[in-house]
Amino acid sequence: MTLAREAEALGARLPPLLLAAERVAATVAQGVHGRRRPGQGDSFWQYRPFVAGDAPARIDWRRSARGDRLYVRQTEWEAAETLCLWSDRSPRMAWRSSPRLAEKGERASLLMLAVGALALRAGERLRLAGLGGQSFFGRGALERVLQAQDQADDGLPSPTSVPADARVLLVSDFLSPESELRSLMAGLAARPAGGCILQVLDPAEVELPYSGRVRFRGLAGEAARLVPRVEALRERYRDALAERQALLARLAGQAGFGFATHVSSSPPEQAVLAVHLALSARRR
Amino acid sequence: MSFAALSFTAPWVLLALLTLPALWWLLRASPPAVREQLFPAISLLDGLKLEEQTPARTPPWLLALRLAAAAAVIIGLAGPTRPAARPGLVGPGPLLLVIDNGWAAAADWPARLQAAGALLDDAAQQGRQVRLLATAPDGDGSPPRLGATETVAALRPVLAGLRPASWPVDRDAAARALDGVAAGPVAYLDDGVGTPGRDAFARRLAAIGPVEDLRATDAGALLLGVAAAGDRLVASLRGLPSPVARQFAVLGRADDDTVLARLPISLAAGAASGEAAFSLPAELRNRLGRLTLASTASGDAVAIASAGAVALLDEGDRRHPVGLVSAAGEADAAPLTGSLFYLQRALAPLAELREGSLASLLARPLSMLVLTGPVPREGADALLAWVRRGGLLLRFAYPGLSDAAADAGALDAGASELGVRDSDEALLPVRLLAGDRQLGGTMSWSAPQRLAAFPAHAPFAGLAVPADVTISRQVLAEPSAALDARSWARLADGTPLVTAAALGAGHVVLVHVTAGADWSNLPLSGLFPRLLERLLRLSAGVGASASAGGARALTPVLAPVLLLDGSGVLGPPGPAAIVVPSGLLADTAISPQHPPGLYAPPGSNGAAQRQALNLGQATPLAAAPPVPGATLRGLQVGAARPFGPWLIGAALALLSLDMLASLALRGVLVGARAALGIVLLLCLITAARAQTSPALATHLAYVATGDEAVDRVEEQGLDGLSQVVNARTSAQLAEPVAVLPGRDELAFYPMLYWAVTASTEPDPAMIVALNDYMAHGGLLVIDTRGGDEATGGSDAGFGDVGGDALRRLAGALHVPPLTPLSIDHVLARSFYLLREYPGRVVGDPVWVARDAAAGRDDDSVSPLVVGANDWAGAWAVDASGQPPFEVVPGGSEQRERALRFGVNLVMYALTGNYKRDQVHADEILKRLQQ
Repeated sequence: MTLAREAEALGARLPPLLLAAERVAATVAQGVHGRRRPGQGDSFWQYRPFVAGDAPARIDWRRSARGDRLYVRQTEWEAAETLCLWSDRSPRMAWRSSPRLAEKGERASLLMLAVGALALRAGERLRLAGLGGQSFFGRGALERVLQAQDQADDGLPSPTSVPADARVLLVSDFLSPESELRSLMAGLAARPAGGCILQVLDPAEVELPYSGRVRFRGLAGEAARLVPRVEALRERYRDALAERQALLARLAGQAGFGFATHVSSSPPEQAVLAVHLALSARRR
Repeated sequence: MSFAALSFTAPWVLLALLTLPALWWLLRASPPAVREQLFPAISLLDGLKLEEQTPARTPPWLLALRLAAAAAVIIGLAGPTRPAARPGLVGPGPLLLVIDNGWAAAADWPARLQAAGALLDDAAQQGRQVRLLATAPDGDGSPPRLGATETVAALRPVLAGLRPASWPVDRDAAARALDGVAAGPVAYLDDGVGTPGRDAFARRLAAIGPVEDLRATDAGALLLGVAAAGDRLVASLRGLPSPVARQFAVLGRADDDTVLARLPISLAAGAASGEAAFSLPAELRNRLGRLTLASTASGDAVAIASAGAVALLDEGDRRHPVGLVSAAGEADAAPLTGSLFYLQRALAPLAELREGSLASLLARPLSMLVLTGPVPREGADALLAWVRRGGLLLRFAYPGLSDAAADAGALDAGASELGVRDSDEALLPVRLLAGDRQLGGTMSWSAPQRLAAFPAHAPFAGLAVPADVTISRQVLAEPSAALDARSWARLADGTPLVTAAALGAGHVVLVHVTAGADWSNLPLSGLFPRLLERLLRLSAGVGASASAGGARALTPVLAPVLLLDGSGVLGPPGPAAIVVPSGLLADTAISPQHPPGLYAPPGSNGAAQRQALNLGQATPLAAAPPVPGATLRGLQVGAARPFGPWLIGAALALLSLDMLASLALRGVLVGARAALGIVLLLCLITAARAQTSPALATHLAYVATGDEAVDRVEEQGLDGLSQVVNARTSAQLAEPVAVLPGRDELAFYPMLYWAVTASTEPDPAMIVALNDYMAHGGLLVIDTRGGDEATGGSDAGFGDVGGDALRRLAGALHVPPLTPLSIDHVLARSFYLLREYPGRVVGDPVWVARDAAAGRDDDSVSPLVVGANDWAGAWAVDASGQPPFEVVPGGSEQRERALRFGVNLVMYALTGNYKRDQVHADEILKRLQQ
């Protein structure tokens, strides 16, 4: 695919996803009271009179021209907390069990962006785990996050790409091999970083609704698995899933993370609210 | 029925049943098909152990289902048949199979062959040999012979090649052929007709062994005869008495097989004969070549293939040759005004016209002779003899007739011989007064006379008298007591205009004016051809045999020309057919030497000389008792019933069940979805059957009359018209629709065709609907289908009359003021420029609504077109694309004109007065030039 067409496809995808993210964020923001602050969303913090020692380049000439004194534009934003986001883009996420549902990856992106939008409203900066140190803030930050997200690699992010002391939101189905999960969480705990991990699952992955003789194929190149009678396996599959979730919750707790799950058949707002509260609780 | 009684047409296919165990093993071993499923959480599955190894086996019931389907296919392909249940042949010895293959067996010949085949099947099963005896003489005249004793296999082709003959069976010779035959069971396919020697033959059969007498339950021996009776043609049907009444149809066919007329004819229960009389216009009757019998038991007429069911017509039945004696030199001198001119014009459509001298005319058969001048002296005796044998002599007055006749004896009672004695003018029906009577003119006080109504005893009775016929000069009859009875037409003052007298078997008719226009304008009027037609009908039946004049040399023999075979098809004569002595033809018994057919004098060509020999005219027909001591059975053998197709159908059903079951096992098909699918399928089937709305396409519509025959004509007619309109114009018409006004919505149809029959009764709801239809822009075309004598179409007096019904309807319908359709009307110009509007018949006027506001180009579109030309009959095409009805008087041009009128009708219905400008095109062009 040429770059132009890629960009076009991306552009076509952007507005609905962003709109959805904004909509989800707005719903949640109303649900969390008292978070609004005057003057938010602007990089401006305050002016203070020029004092000797300030770099002349920091003088705000437009403000200073109104009076006789020189003013310096103070940018308190440097101290703003950074929310480090990551959603899983692996082939495993590009799947849904029914055309009525959203793909897991799509839902994961939506949730991530919605949380990001909330954070932006709260005046915080966004950063993408797995990418370089680029951070996004201000107007249009979400769009740039979305574009940058496509450059991220498949697979779990490296803990070193997460800034120290950052708030981290990881959205994935977390069905990767257990060892990888363990090393990721250990790495994050060592940064140190806090935050939340959100597991997004398709209802079929929760229920295993199939029956009869089925040959299962993975999406990430796993070996196929022939199951003669799926219905006989259903109970034990659920147990295995519950076990995986318990493991995730334990790992998250050990690393100081919150853990939430989301099934793509349920509305996204709930999950965003849960994540948002988890992240806020950590921050306080 | 035991299983052993089953037989297979392809038994080796049953070997495939041996593969069933292998199939069972294969089916059992192969697991059900795997369903592929993408699943991201496969890593979770990987850790799970399968503690129970699921049996990847087909469930036993599914296995049984599939095996049953396979077995059904194999057995079905092997062609199992269940033989018919019937008693077998008893007794030792070879089977003697005796088959009547005379004319009487032809009608149900296929059933007889089947019965014989079934008997052969029985014999084959019992391993018997068979001898065959066909009781009719061969085509070469040799008597019936007994076949050699043969196996069934050798005999089947012989049986298949056996054909019914067109002559009767010869049971005497058949009995002789049976001399010395070995004992054994006898099966006799009996035609049930008694012939000489039948009893002896039956006893001979009974002596050979146990006899099975197989007869048709409804006796198929039918004889159709024909006789001319006056102006009618009477078909007579004879058959063996049957306990139930039977219905047939007699079809009058032309030589090219076109059906010209059809009449029902029936044999009442227990009756041996029935009659039907054709009353046809002269033109149609002259074209009849033969009558054929058709069975109407199944609703449609199915021709009966038997020589007995065909009655050939010859000259005696249909020709009315008319001789015109031309005075020497006159025809050449005044070809357009001579006395013969009007006669030729009037008679040409009705009869075969011959002109020449009296001697040459009388040399050939004639039914009517027209004499416009004096009787030639040399031919008088021959003429008188001809009239006595049944000829009709029509004479016209000429200047000088009365003087010549004044002192000669007329054909008075008792004076006829005297009259012929010496005078050429003796051949007159009445005595004439000397001198002519002059009416009107410069020297006369009296005015030209008109005609009085025709007297009831005259053949002209019932003809309308036109007011514009005037007689200005005539010869006068001498008053006598017999004059009144001899007057067939009178003037208004009572003087006879046409007089006639019987002479021997014939008639002499005198018209008291000339055949030209100089004495009266009678020959110019439309009445003249009608008078001549009535006279021709009077002469009908005076055919070749009766009128073969003395001047004609009697041909000694008649040679066969075209003969009927056993199934009633004309073909060249066979080897045994020989000549018949002339004059004896009517009494000739049908035999291989004299099969039914057409005979003609040797060396003659053309149809005029042919004479017909029909089975129906001389063959006796009587029922025969069954063979004594025989078991009597019908021909129905109860055919062996193959049920292979049923098995294969069952296999298909099983396989579809199996498919459903497999889908269900693989989890693809859940109950709800299956139900949904079935419902969808049913919906599709229903939707495919559902009628589409008539508004989606343009349909022509016709009023369903309830009379099936009329409705079919209407449907075929509109179908043919729709095809023509689709082919020639940009209008696209869908198939015609039958509607019932008052029940069906009429708004969808631009044109509604209504064939009004004599039985049509106005129904209030229907009238309301039709009035509404006409008031809101519909075009109603009413057709009374010809036949109305009063309207004067070419079909006048033939067929049922819808005119009375139309008059009844007109009281209820809102009929606008009507005017005859003229060439100025838009209807005559809406697509084609038409001057006449024929249908199956011509001549009846066509009526349309009178333009209410003449001179104004408003929407004065006629809502009603009324005619009697039976347009649908002319438009009609049958399933094979051929017109089923002849047009009268005929010709492809008439049919084309009828179709053009139909196209105009459709265009008029679709475009209204849009083409009115075309009517004024001349005027518009004229104005543009100014």
